[in-house]
Amino acid sequence: MRPDDRDLEDEIRSALELSIRERIERGEDPRSARRAALEEFGSMAAVRDAMHRVWYSRWFDATMSLFQEMRIGLRSLLRTRGVAVTVVVTLALGIGANAAIFSVVRSVLLRPLVNRDADRLLYIRQTARGIGTEDLTFSMPEIGDLESRVKSISAFGDFSTVDFTLIGFGGEPRVVTAGVVNGSFFDVMGLRPALGRLINSGDDGPKAAPVAVLTHRFWTTVLHANPSVVGKVIRLGPGNATVVGVLEPSVPYPAETQIIANVVTSPHHLGATMQKERWHRMTELFGRLAPGATLEGARAELKAVHASMVHAHPESYSAGARVGLEVKTLRDQLASPARTILLLLLAAAAVVFVIACSNVANLILARSVRREGELAIRAALGASRAALRRTLLAESLVLCGAGAALGVALANPMVTVLTQYAARFSVRALDVSIDASVLWVGVVLALAAAVLLAFVPRLPSSDAAQGIGISTGSVRITSGTNRRLRAFAVTQIAASFVLLAGAGMLLTTLMSLQRSETGFNLSNVLALNVPVISFERQPHETAVMYKEAMRRIKEIPGVEHVAVGTAVPWRDAGVFGPGFQFTIDGYRKADAEEDPRARFRTVSPNFFASIGVPLVAGRDFSDADRHGAEPVVIISQSVATRLFGSRDAVNRTLRWTDPVMKFIGVAQGPRRIIGIAADVDDENIVPGPALTVYHPFEQEIGGGRLFVHTNARVDPYTLVPPVTKIIRELAADQPIEQAATLEDVRAEVLAPDRLNAFVFSGFAGVAMLIAIVGVAGVLAFSVSARTREFGIRLAIGSEPKQLLARVLKEGAVIAVVGIVAGVAGGYVLARVAGSFVTDVRLPGAAPLAVSATILIAAAIVASMMPAARASRVDVIKALRPE
Amino acid sequence: MTKTPDDPRLELLQGTLDMLILRTLRLGPQHGHGIGQAILRQSEELLRVETGSLYPALHRLVKRGWLKSEWGVSEANQRAKFYRLTPSGRAQLIREQDRWSQLVRAIGRIMNPAPAAEE
Repeated sequence: MRPDDRDLEDEIRSALELSIRERIERGEDPRSARRAALEEFGSMAAVRDAMHRVWYSRWFDATMSLFQEMRIGLRSLLRTRGVAVTVVVTLALGIGANAAIFSVVRSVLLRPLVNRDADRLLYIRQTARGIGTEDLTFSMPEIGDLESRVKSISAFGDFSTVDFTLIGFGGEPRVVTAGVVNGSFFDVMGLRPALGRLINSGDDGPKAAPVAVLTHRFWTTVLHANPSVVGKVIRLGPGNATVVGVLEPSVPYPAETQIIANVVTSPHHLGATMQKERWHRMTELFGRLAPGATLEGARAELKAVHASMVHAHPESYSAGARVGLEVKTLRDQLASPARTILLLLLAAAAVVFVIACSNVANLILARSVRREGELAIRAALGASRAALRRTLLAESLVLCGAGAALGVALANPMVTVLTQYAARFSVRALDVSIDASVLWVGVVLALAAAVLLAFVPRLPSSDAAQGIGISTGSVRITSGTNRRLRAFAVTQIAASFVLLAGAGMLLTTLMSLQRSETGFNLSNVLALNVPVISFERQPHETAVMYKEAMRRIKEIPGVEHVAVGTAVPWRDAGVFGPGFQFTIDGYRKADAEEDPRARFRTVSPNFFASIGVPLVAGRDFSDADRHGAEPVVIISQSVATRLFGSRDAVNRTLRWTDPVMKFIGVAQGPRRIIGIAADVDDENIVPGPALTVYHPFEQEIGGGRLFVHTNARVDPYTLVPPVTKIIRELAADQPIEQAATLEDVRAEVLAPDRLNAFVFSGFAGVAMLIAIVGVAGVLAFSVSARTREFGIRLAIGSEPKQLLARVLKEGAVIAVVGIVAGVAGGYVLARVAGSFVTDVRLPGAAPLAVSATILIAAAIVASMMPAARASRVDVIKALRPE
Repeated sequence: MTKTPDDPRLELLQGTLDMLILRTLRLGPQHGHGIGQAILRQSEELLRVETGSLYPALHRLVKRGWLKSEWGVSEANQRAKFYRLTPSGRAQLIREQDRWSQLVRAIGRIMNPAPAAEE
């Protein structure tokens, strides 16, 4: 049992009493006995401390007194609640943002994949930069060439997606995206089953039994993790398949699918086109490094084999397309799209933290100046510098601790928001979890802030000047402190300027995207996915179904036009590849020019009216343009002007020349141009000149998308139930999905841009708010410390207005210096960032000017209150001696 | 309490205070003041233990388990903290006493060598 200090003192006191009594008994005078005993004892405090040291180490004492100081600090902070709350909230924002973003960064960029030996798992893809595509995928003959000749890859796994209509887990028939894989796919990926087994080499080839593996997400979310699904036979597209297992939770790559099936489930994969045609590319390729092989070695070998393959088949690789090969580890491939944005976010969060800290430093500095008297007195009474620091540290620990606690609490909802945000850039963000790392980041940041803050204020030194401070106990502001206060305020303005300018740049981009004229009627057109069902139905039956559906939908009150198309603008962008080569009779190519490429679209009569696009010349398709009739096309304005300038293109003959046309079953025969439609770009939000060729939907494969144009009085979404009912009456198992107005489709596509702008504006807003509070605080403090100066100025004839202007000017000067520092710092930052991540852009003049104006205006507004106070200084009071 | 050069009192040898305390307490429990007085008396007023050394030493011995302390009432009917030896304190006293007599013998041999050795 350790005795406490009271016990020790008790013991000393009783010993003293004994000693006095003894002396009295010996006959001494009580008063001199007492004096002698005390003298013999020496310093009671020193004796007690010596006893205390027997029981307690210095560390223990330091910690205990820190706690003690923290209690005192808490009490004194509760008295100045305004400052304390500002500091805590400011720190919480800084710490929360950092903790949240760090945990997302950790999950997306740093966490290892579940795949076995993920470092040896490669993602291989073909590129064709000549036609602007980074991801050309592979055809089976290409994969065969690589497989037979590359030695540094022990096994290849291939993966392609097919949409199947799935029946068999209860509920409505649904369209699922299925991955079709070869037998070595899961082994190459290094994934294990959560239940049952995965697809293996026994499931390869056309003779194998059809089997399917469920993805973990589908199994848990849709099937409620029901273990009895293994062994169940389901209807998958044209045939049946047995569910053999459930895949462990893993990153859904290359595509988020519900089901992964073997090759035999997809008739298309068994067909001659898939097996034989070199240009039929729809397969993603993965490889596992052979033992002893390195990434560089494998990359070099793959590229060499690929190059010789390209050389051997000149008919399949046009020189202008510049077909090449890229090899990356899967981990890099997954992280790369999100890396830039996450690192930017991390930087923004760090900037907010710097701002928060410097603001808090300001508040603390101001507070400690007010306490200089107290500290000086303590120093004079013998408190060591360490003890004074401890007092300051205790207070900043209380503040930062509270800030961290609030920050970590804030971090959790922020992670949720950020996760949805990051999921647009990397599939890995789908399983971001909130874990202890948030807490650790919070604690570390709080400690860093606390230590920093404790060392910001200067301690009273023992020089003579400080003596005055003790005697008056009043606020004195030294020029050094003033400089520091201003330096912090300038830092805040500079950092917020960088953020504001960045947010301004993103907002400008977003605004230009949103303002861009698309050519579509956005608000009155409802687009629905009504996919073509290929099994148990002949193509002409599908056409009949669409025609009958359109006839009946047209009769719904409020419907103006209805049409069938192949692609919902923007949402289906990229699905049809980079376009196909064609030629038009009478167009003379320049030497060595390749045939131009155009988008291939199939639409029903009335399509252009339905999406609000006018015909510039010629006529629309009609019911007469059916199967067996003369093949006709409508071209977009750009095709006409590109090939024929101002001359008339109607009635000329168009032919598709692209070799790919053979495999999708498009005839290369002549087609008469019957009309020219105004340009619309259904791939890009900011429209470019779009070369598009439209076909009548009864003459070419197509369909799958329904467009309903309503009149302005009807909310398009109210038509979803009647339209669904009409289609279901015609075909009970027809899936109908993703109904949305074109406006909402565009909003959905713009969501990442909007989120970028939103998140950065949020950061910039928070930063600016903190900075404004900082500027106001600095000026308010400087004004209150200079009451006397203002009093003298007023007394010798300054106008109050002059004083007001003077303080406002000080605020403006801080802002201007901050902005200049921000421009310089931002430029350096962008340079540094540019060496780590590509496509770092500098904001244009407009966002810079706007940000600067906002900050200066805000700084002046922030200076208003202190300025007004300065101009109202009471001369008599200010000059009264203290 | 600075010492003057003509002060007849002796300074305690380093490390002997613990032994003196243990030895004093062999006669029975005693409070701190009493221990100091006993040492003074026994040494014929030559050894005066400073309170600043005595009390921390007492606590050090308690911490090591050689003493036990408890509050009690002195013969003068005053509240005081009493210390008494524990069995392990008794053993320690024997060890220290042995060591001390060895030390005294060794130093004695050096300071007063036998006549035969001096030749």
